[in-house]
Amino acid sequence: MQFVRLVVFGFVILTVLYVCITYYSRSVRREKLENRWEDSPVEGMTRDDYIAKGMAKYESGLRKKLIVLVYIIPPIIIGTIIYFIN
Amino acid sequence: MRNIRRFLRIALFLIVGLFLHYVMPQQDIARVTSTEIIRTDFSTFNRMFYAQADAGAAENPTRDLRLINTERKATYFFGLIRGGNETMVFRNEDTGWIYPPYFKFDSSDLQAEAAASISTAQPYEWVIVRHYGWRIRFLSIYPNAVSVRPAPSEDYRPFPWINLVIFAVLIGGLLFLRAMWAQFRERTVDPLADRVGDQYDHVSADISERKGRVSRWLGTWRKKK
Repeated sequence: MQFVRLVVFGFVILTVLYVCITYYSRSVRREKLENRWEDSPVEGMTRDDYIAKGMAKYESGLRKKLIVLVYIIPPIIIGTIIYFIN
Repeated sequence: MRNIRRFLRIALFLIVGLFLHYVMPQQDIARVTSTEIIRTDFSTFNRMFYAQADAGAAENPTRDLRLINTERKATYFFGLIRGGNETMVFRNEDTGWIYPPYFKFDSSDLQAEAAASISTAQPYEWVIVRHYGWRIRFLSIYPNAVSVRPAPSEDYRPFPWINLVIFAVLIGGLLFLRAMWAQFRERTVDPLADRVGDQYDHVSADISERKGRVSRWLGTWRKKK
């Protein structure tokens, strides 16, 4: 019963964390693109196009997929603790 | 207002500090003198300091409690200063799946290990008892032993590597949360506040100039005078 509680609450908390990190990461990426545009605008491209293209690249990139680690690392840590304590 | 804020900050710091001191692992050099089991009825005051029944067992209002009686080296100031010997009684309970997150299920095995290292005759056999919690006599609570392993010598001082790692992770997590909050404020709250604030600003431009960003945002919710 305790185990079920841990899984349910853990899942809820990790989901909140996952959503927050997703938004944070996206926001940081957009800011970076904006700054890069301010520094050196690309010829023949509007600012919005440049940012949209960069964001599309981010959405399909590896960095975004790495956020799934939020769900993977805690169970690994818990498993390690269980192994070493018992 | 500033005093209230200062008070709240100190109170929060104290609560978090005490909580961490209670929950973090500590290592004592001790000599097991005996192990025993006592029946325990918990009161409303000390119930929160005990874990629950063994992981596979049912919870009842009263149950047996495993104790490990030891003589340990007294330590002060986070173990930096060593004192003489003192008695210390550890309880030995499963922490189970929830709190604190030690995931300890092997209380019976630990009790057997502790019993195996009972040392009452010279030369003494010293062990390192890893534990968390406090011994408060007037509440009848004991620190919970997590593991027992042989100590190289009586004067051995174990280094708290695990605490170091936990603190590093906690501080890193805190900084990350702060960065997240700053980003959220800068990119989401402030533009919104600026839009709303524009109407308000020309009424009291010089006042809002001196206010911080958050208080300016808070100001937009107040009634206009």
